[in-house]
Amino acid sequence: MTLRALIPSFTLMVILALLPLVLNGYWVGQLNYYLVYGLFALSLSVVWGYGGILCLGQAAFFGIGAYVMALVTKGMILPDITSSLIGILAAMIAAVLFALVLGFFLFAGRGVQGAYLAVMTIAVTLMLERLMSNWYALGGYNGLLDIPPLTLQLGDFFYEFWDAAPLFYLLLTIVFAILFALQIFMNSRYGLLLTALKGNQDRLTFFGYGILRLKMSVFALGAAIAGLAGALFVTIDGFASPTLIGFTLSTEVLIWVALGGKEMLLAAFLGAFVTRFAEGWLSEALDDFWLLAIGAIFMVSVVLLPKGLIATPLGKIGEALKIRIR
Amino acid sequence: MIEIAIPLMDALSHVLILILVALGLMIIFGLMGVINMAHGELFMIGAYVMVMAQQWGIGYVGGLILAPIIVGFLGWVIERGLICHIYHRPIDTILATWGLSIALKQAVVLTFGPEAQSAPLPFDMRVGIGVFEYPLYRLMVMGASILLICMCFWVFKKTDFGLAARAVIARPQTSEILGLNTAKINRTSFVAGAALAGIAGALIAPTISVDPQMGLGYLVPGFLSLLVGGVGALSGVIVGGAAVGGSGSLLTNWISPVASQIVVFLMALVIIRMRPNGLIGGRKK
Repeated sequence: MTLRALIPSFTLMVILALLPLVLNGYWVGQLNYYLVYGLFALSLSVVWGYGGILCLGQAAFFGIGAYVMALVTKGMILPDITSSLIGILAAMIAAVLFALVLGFFLFAGRGVQGAYLAVMTIAVTLMLERLMSNWYALGGYNGLLDIPPLTLQLGDFFYEFWDAAPLFYLLLTIVFAILFALQIFMNSRYGLLLTALKGNQDRLTFFGYGILRLKMSVFALGAAIAGLAGALFVTIDGFASPTLIGFTLSTEVLIWVALGGKEMLLAAFLGAFVTRFAEGWLSEALDDFWLLAIGAIFMVSVVLLPKGLIATPLGKIGEALKIRIR
Repeated sequence: MIEIAIPLMDALSHVLILILVALGLMIIFGLMGVINMAHGELFMIGAYVMVMAQQWGIGYVGGLILAPIIVGFLGWVIERGLICHIYHRPIDTILATWGLSIALKQAVVLTFGPEAQSAPLPFDMRVGIGVFEYPLYRLMVMGASILLICMCFWVFKKTDFGLAARAVIARPQTSEILGLNTAKINRTSFVAGAALAGIAGALIAPTISVDPQMGLGYLVPGFLSLLVGGVGALSGVIVGGAAVGGSGSLLTNWISPVASQIVVFLMALVIIRMRPNGLIGGRKK
């Protein structure tokens, strides 16, 4: 693939990198949240838009990542090992393991699809939310408080990401590195196989490909990204609660991704970013009407623009530039 | 005796309401392949109609008559305005009705406020059955639910409309070729499913606290009942409702409500996974 296809994402990254120069500290802090939500949206875009698995419980992986990160960096597992890096790794591994177990349960044999899958994933996320609300060793309903910020330790060098601006550039680097990597990866043979899986999985089986492995791998990939997003989220917020693993966040990420465009990573990212930004900006003016508006916009966009409100114009731009934006 | 009888009666009344919800879902899903994520909100609106009817002074009976009419009409609007545009995209119906459910929930919050409301019981008597006493109203709800369930069965098994509807479920294209107006049958069924949710909500409203978030608590168990019992046969809903609602309600007496919900959900997931056609569903054609 030519690097030209990465130009739109690169442009976006440059624009975002310039934002802290014109925004005040509060808004840079908010941008950090939007970046993490965008990363979370990428995970659902991979699973749903590329893998064709409509997962209505994506927050399960985000929440697992969040809780594992909180437990590690607060020293609740091993008091001596509280490094952010180990926390992030543990968070991603835990999310992936859960995804592999759940994926095997859901997809082995004839597998569950469509509506069944949707209802079953909702049930899973509701179960986890209930579990965490009542697991008192892990904070129960109140969650875990005082989670330390991200730290970096190289030999004697030690740095804590307290301020919004350095944290913003760190998150920007992480999120866009993953976005670029995914865009390149989805353009490879693996991406082609996923397209085939979405199109007609019986035919793919007929050609000798293992459907189960493919589905589980894309499910796990999504879970790893969601787990990372959850881990980063708690270091910004300092707070892990059962809402992070539950139904509401699963709904929200679904709406961001569907509004943006599930079949285009960049659009899914922007969907989260723009929706969250609009919420922060408009929810004061619109108050309770905000949710009503989002529900209505969502309905209209599903009926009229099923490819997504952001993906449709971006696709047009891509056509004009003769590139395929992912 | 009493220790067993009262939980059993509670479980039975819970199961019957769940069956009503699942029947509505079943009619809509079985007929049209539409997953109605807003079904819980239709149920919730039915309950609100009951609360409001009593505040406006129309009384309990007025609420009971008004709820299915208002919610049925809402169902008609939803079918005309939203669902009929996306029949051919079943997965998108999940998303669209999800958006609808958020919008409806928020509309109710804006109109009536986020706090819980309550509807007074129409009569507050207890009657003795054998050795124990049970609230008369709950017995009435159970009777009404059984009546409604029987009516659904009668309509589907004995009337011309039911025959046509079953034909559309089994072979949509063939039915259309044979001259059945499938669009009209779908619309009628959607309205019927919505009205069923409305009346279920109205019936249960005096016994619970009515708030905008109550729908989800019935939607997910309703769906699980439907899938556990098996899509396609009406009797599947009864088996599924009994399995999901009954075990959940009974388990709460012995273990905590949270643990019982988790156990029931897990059980339901395993059953759905192991028997995709449901407990009583036949072999796949």
